[in-house]
Amino acid sequence: MNTRSGNESKDMAKDNAKNGLTLSEVRAKLAGQSGRKYWRSIDELAGTPEFEAALSREFPEQSSEWIDPVSRRGFMKMMGASMALAGLAGCTKQPDEPIYPYVKAPEDLVLGKPVYFATAFPFPTGAVPLLVKSDAYRPVKVDGNPEHPYNRGGSDPLTQGTLLGLYDPDRSQHIFYRGEAKSWADFQASFRSVLAGKKASGGEGVYFLSDTVTSPTLAAQWKKAQAIYPQAKFYQYDPVNRDSAYAASKAAFGDYTDAQYKLDAADVIVSLDADFLSGAAHPGFHRLAKDYAKRRRLENAKSGDFSMNRLYAVECMTTTTGLKAEHRLALRSSDIPAFAAALAAAVGAGSAASGYTWSDDAQKFLASVAKDLKASGGKCVVIPGEQQPASVHLAAIAINEALGNNGKTVVYTETVNPMPSIQGDDLKSLVADMNAGKVDWLVILNANPVYAAPADLQFEDALSKVKTSVHLGSHFDETGHVVQWHINNAHYLESWSDARSYDGTASVVQPMIDPLYGGHSSHQIIQAMLDDPETSAYAAVRATWKDKSAAKGTDADFGWRKILHDGWIADTAFAPKTGGAKATVPTPAAQVSADTLEIVFRPEAHTYDGRFANIGWLQEIPRPVTNLSWDNAALMSYATLEKLKVAEHDVIEISLNGKKVLAPVLAVPGHADGSITLHLGQGRQLAGRVGSGIGFNAYQIRPSATPLVATGATVRKTGDTWGFAVTKSHYTDHRSVAVGGDGSGTHSIEGNEAIDRGIVRYATLEEFKKSPEFAHEGEGHQTPEPTTTMFPAYRYDHNAWGMSIDMNACVGCNACVASCYAENNIAVVGKHQVTMGRVMQWLRIDTYYEGDLAAPRAHFQPMACQHCENAPCEQVCPVGATVHTPEGLNTMVYNRCVGTRYCSNNCPYKVRRFNFLLYSDYETESLKLMRNPDVTVRSRGVMEKCSYCVQRINAAKIEADKENREIRDDEIVTACQQACPTEAIIFGNINDGTSRVSKLKRQERSYGVLADIDTRPRTTYVAEVLNINQELAAARGEFAPENS
Amino acid sequence: MATKGAPVNDPMIDPITGEYVVVAPGHTFKSVTETISRIVLTPHTPLGWYAGFALAGGVATVLLVAVLYLFLTGVGIWGITIPIAWGFAIINFVWWIGIGHAGTLISAILLLFKQGWRNSINRFAEAMTIFAVVCAGMFPLIHVGRPWLGYWLFPYPNTMNVWPQFRSPLLWDVFAVSTYATISVVFWYIGMIPDLGTLRDRSKSKFGQFIYGMFAMGWRGSVRHWVRYETASLLLAGLATPLVLSVHTVISFDFAVALLPGWHTTIFPPYFVAGAVYSGFAMVITLAVPIRKFYHLEDLITLRHLDNMAKVMLTTGLIVAYGYAMEVFMAYCYSASHWEYFMMWNRMFGPMGWAYWVLITCNIALPQFMWFRYVRTSIPLMFLMSLIVNTGMWFERFVIVVTSLYRDYLPSSWGTYRATTWDYATFVGTLGLFTFLFFLFVRFLPMIPMSEIRMMLPQAKVQPESGNVVEAGH
Repeated sequence: MNTRSGNESKDMAKDNAKNGLTLSEVRAKLAGQSGRKYWRSIDELAGTPEFEAALSREFPEQSSEWIDPVSRRGFMKMMGASMALAGLAGCTKQPDEPIYPYVKAPEDLVLGKPVYFATAFPFPTGAVPLLVKSDAYRPVKVDGNPEHPYNRGGSDPLTQGTLLGLYDPDRSQHIFYRGEAKSWADFQASFRSVLAGKKASGGEGVYFLSDTVTSPTLAAQWKKAQAIYPQAKFYQYDPVNRDSAYAASKAAFGDYTDAQYKLDAADVIVSLDADFLSGAAHPGFHRLAKDYAKRRRLENAKSGDFSMNRLYAVECMTTTTGLKAEHRLALRSSDIPAFAAALAAAVGAGSAASGYTWSDDAQKFLASVAKDLKASGGKCVVIPGEQQPASVHLAAIAINEALGNNGKTVVYTETVNPMPSIQGDDLKSLVADMNAGKVDWLVILNANPVYAAPADLQFEDALSKVKTSVHLGSHFDETGHVVQWHINNAHYLESWSDARSYDGTASVVQPMIDPLYGGHSSHQIIQAMLDDPETSAYAAVRATWKDKSAAKGTDADFGWRKILHDGWIADTAFAPKTGGAKATVPTPAAQVSADTLEIVFRPEAHTYDGRFANIGWLQEIPRPVTNLSWDNAALMSYATLEKLKVAEHDVIEISLNGKKVLAPVLAVPGHADGSITLHLGQGRQLAGRVGSGIGFNAYQIRPSATPLVATGATVRKTGDTWGFAVTKSHYTDHRSVAVGGDGSGTHSIEGNEAIDRGIVRYATLEEFKKSPEFAHEGEGHQTPEPTTTMFPAYRYDHNAWGMSIDMNACVGCNACVASCYAENNIAVVGKHQVTMGRVMQWLRIDTYYEGDLAAPRAHFQPMACQHCENAPCEQVCPVGATVHTPEGLNTMVYNRCVGTRYCSNNCPYKVRRFNFLLYSDYETESLKLMRNPDVTVRSRGVMEKCSYCVQRINAAKIEADKENREIRDDEIVTACQQACPTEAIIFGNINDGTSRVSKLKRQERSYGVLADIDTRPRTTYVAEVLNINQELAAARGEFAPENS
Repeated sequence: MATKGAPVNDPMIDPITGEYVVVAPGHTFKSVTETISRIVLTPHTPLGWYAGFALAGGVATVLLVAVLYLFLTGVGIWGITIPIAWGFAIINFVWWIGIGHAGTLISAILLLFKQGWRNSINRFAEAMTIFAVVCAGMFPLIHVGRPWLGYWLFPYPNTMNVWPQFRSPLLWDVFAVSTYATISVVFWYIGMIPDLGTLRDRSKSKFGQFIYGMFAMGWRGSVRHWVRYETASLLLAGLATPLVLSVHTVISFDFAVALLPGWHTTIFPPYFVAGAVYSGFAMVITLAVPIRKFYHLEDLITLRHLDNMAKVMLTTGLIVAYGYAMEVFMAYCYSASHWEYFMMWNRMFGPMGWAYWVLITCNIALPQFMWFRYVRTSIPLMFLMSLIVNTGMWFERFVIVVTSLYRDYLPSSWGTYRATTWDYATFVGTLGLFTFLFFLFVRFLPMIPMSEIRMMLPQAKVQPESGNVVEAGH
């Protein structure tokens, strides 16, 4: 056996020897052998020359190729290719099924090219007409409609913030019934079956509680519903409402009216606590701010036209309006009605209140204002504050009537709200009905009364007595949690509606995007009551404006398309009411003693009544005047602070009528003494990841009887302290005159320094007339010659971008800042980081308080990268990550930045912002849709700053190149400029002598901040000129030469 | 120098000059070699060393954790902010680099000036330099926002053809510090070769012989070796000497080139260099005092050393004081610049004015006690003095960095600075790392140059009477 198998092996070996033996062949030969046989077979194989040869080759199949140079090259090629293929395999692969490329794009979609749609943001004080930028079907920027007669492109922080509101990841996404997910059909069926049962009783027991309605279509729908269910009730309640104005107008005109002020025709403006320059909380803000600023430009001063308006303000809480005023008087809110009455008496429109004692200062102020008003009858206007009682409104109506302003600087029209009512009374009667068990169905439309109703009404308890409660809301909020039905609301950018602006012009609210979470609107709910419940909001809105959307020839849709295209419906502005007002100024209540503490409730500048609490931009952007972010506070004057024996940051307990709230204390320069202002809209429990647990809830002590001002509060110090995120330090200047201070200890050191350093320059109108070059006179106000540097100057052959900011026009409203956040994907960093000084805003409004902090003047200075010609940042960056472009932009190259932060240290304006941590949200899906695709989302460790909206510059350049032309002057609009309601910011090509910006820069008043250190900023400021009342200034000792 | 009141028969005092002797009398070549090499070659590592080493290692671990967390999270864990975008990291960087300067000064400049007393302290002073540079060099790297891209500061060829920006002082820093580190390491190593030879020859363990033998690079102590060695030392000293001046000058440019009031001043280069030497000598004393005590090296590191170093500190301290005085003079009297004026007022009396007065107390007021010989020759007092000066010099950098930045041009952007736990952890961690490395050094390398001490002994001098020339090698 042994021999045989040995022979066989040898035979096999011999056979193989012809072709050489490979290991696999050896293996094949050995297959099937086992045990001793196997080993013997190896032994027999071994030693044969073929086997030896096979062993000598490591890779028997290919090894010979290694000797052949050509094959080796082939092998390398093969390896290279397979490496590449291996790499490819690592990438995402396409699906297995056949897919087809996007050869034919939809007609209206060019990727990377945005489309703009006109729409409107419905807001209780009147709709804000909008032009929305949409990129790949996603709205990415909200701005004012530049062609709309009302706002001409201006917007405000709240409007800007609604974009983030759309993409808010905490928005409610489902319909719930007692915590169970339901469908719209379920709700509709349930609702209609209840209604069917109530048809006989006229819908008795069906109640609606809505936020303020500005939609004519909704009003029309309700009218139809009311016809079927005459007993059903529709109430409106917003915690910040127009009850005073409505009550006064009802008394004066017999019907609810809105007052429209024409500030472009007013030489003298008197604000009776009317904060018409702060934001959309004041009706007509956009128009009023624009008209106010228009009269302060002094653009033709060279030709001797020095006409400008003069603003007087009487107010309690310091507002930007008061700070912009030439003369401001701080009065307790409860004194203002009497002051208004006294003013009315002084101009002959009523009788003054008796028993009031006024300070010397107030008397001087009153006399001068009255004199000035009388001297400019028909060219002046008195504006009452929205948050002042009806008596102030009546006084204002009477004064305006007496001075002949009616029809000139003020007109009275129908109300923007198609269903005006006194909302405070509405809410009270609703709660009474709820408590009486009369309410079977309560449908709450976009309101959050559980959070925002005055505490003494105990709305939540009343709600528990309602049989079925329904809540339509954007969030599963405080109200959403306690009702039975919660319906997720569609954002205004997702749904059809219409709304009226301040001037009455109606706009169609057209959706920009399909509802992200399939939300529903008030229109659908009211429509569900009607016989045609499936009629869409779109159809309802079209039906409302059928008359205004006439067909053109055979084009039936022409009129409708025009409405949508323009963003408003022509000829819908309200016509002024004819006939005078018959206002009698009521006798004010007795003066509240100086020792009684009053509490003033005001909407928060950014969260308004709380509805914007979950919008990170708005929470983070520091509020005007206080520079406070991420909080609200008990705001009071320094004197009150001392009187109450509390210090800033102390937590106090405020008790009012037995209700208590804990609030941290913050001093406000210029606040009236003996008064504490509480801003509503914070302290939300269920606002979402951003807004919950921020600040305190002032509604907890807000009385329903006196929701605007309540007296008789007591304050107790709790001993706790609270850290604020205030973005600007404020120190009082205790330096003696010898070391550069004023020796008083009551001035702000920042304010004193800002004046000394020539950062803020201003003059009175008289001084300006005398020395038009005032902005360039005096120490530190000169600009060095361009030859003083050893570096060769840059040459700009074509474009050179620059900006001019008019400090006379800037009202410090923050619209530009919010717009900058939206445009440039600026990250929100949160309270802790803001407290550390790491807020990321590229643009900030520097507010300098000048003079005694008890009665300061303030200067607003929007501050962003100045794009210096001699940029200190460029010189010190070790990697060249910040560089000068041929058009003079100072550009950040994010990719190149390693984050040494040297540039920020060397920036005298401190406008650079650093990503100390990973601030940008890369996780939240909905926020990804919101980002501006043209702007990088910055990661950790990178410096960033204002780019002059370089993406917009480049977009315009590409357009101009395509059309083979120069860029037009108004073609590039930066985000801040676009949002500015007063056109304070102008951007353009300074190489073009005819451009608006270069004309502005040629004005005598134009100066560069810190120009004396030769940074040569591209952004310049137009110095303020104040049209002061010489007599009053002399009497009060204001504007003394050493101060100005 | 002052001999008044000194005991006449004190063997530690040179009867001719009246100064303390550099090396205690009675030492022979053998005893010097024994004393120093014993520390390294002993088979019985003292327990104290283990304890100190473990402690230092533990503190160094804090640094490891702090840096790890920093890399994972970002520089936002520190107290830096806008406007104070540089904080502890840069303060520590300048402080450590400054400390390093004394080592180079001692090893290079004093060598060139033939200051023989330096020999006892130069080895560990140089080691201190290197470890200080290690600690310092770390900071610019870890303080950047994206440390993984730190190499972009080097002018390396790349496909994008992008170069660093040569106008930036931070780039000059890169060159200055890397040159400094290189020269210091080379100088230190070359100087150690004869001693490594000695250790090789005396080591009983195979491993020791191998390692020391490898690093001794075949040192045989031949005359030719000695000639080469001396030449190399002199050349390196020549190279290192300008570095003493240039490195801190360049570092001062980080500030002086910027336009920030409080930074933008021409006085910075000399006053930074003086300050560096000042703090460096203080650190040498801080290290020398415990070492001489622990390893019983009182014979080799004598009061003479303390006395001399105190005098150097006094001198440099006065230069620094002059610098401060000039800053005040420029700001208040000469420049007529509002920016300078306000900066100085704010530095002294602003909300962070306390830091300035800590600095003045530690750097100017208290060190004046060193005018007294009693203080200079009192070991505990000098140790205290060295700690005071180290503190003062740290505060000097704090004052320069923070109090210039926190209130600059635009009052609206004024801020304040508060260091976080991580700031302190990082700083303390580098102290740990420094000590950790130093413990390794004293254990495994001769901390005092044996060859140079031997050469200082009277026996090393040529004695023509007897006709015997004693060679210093063995």
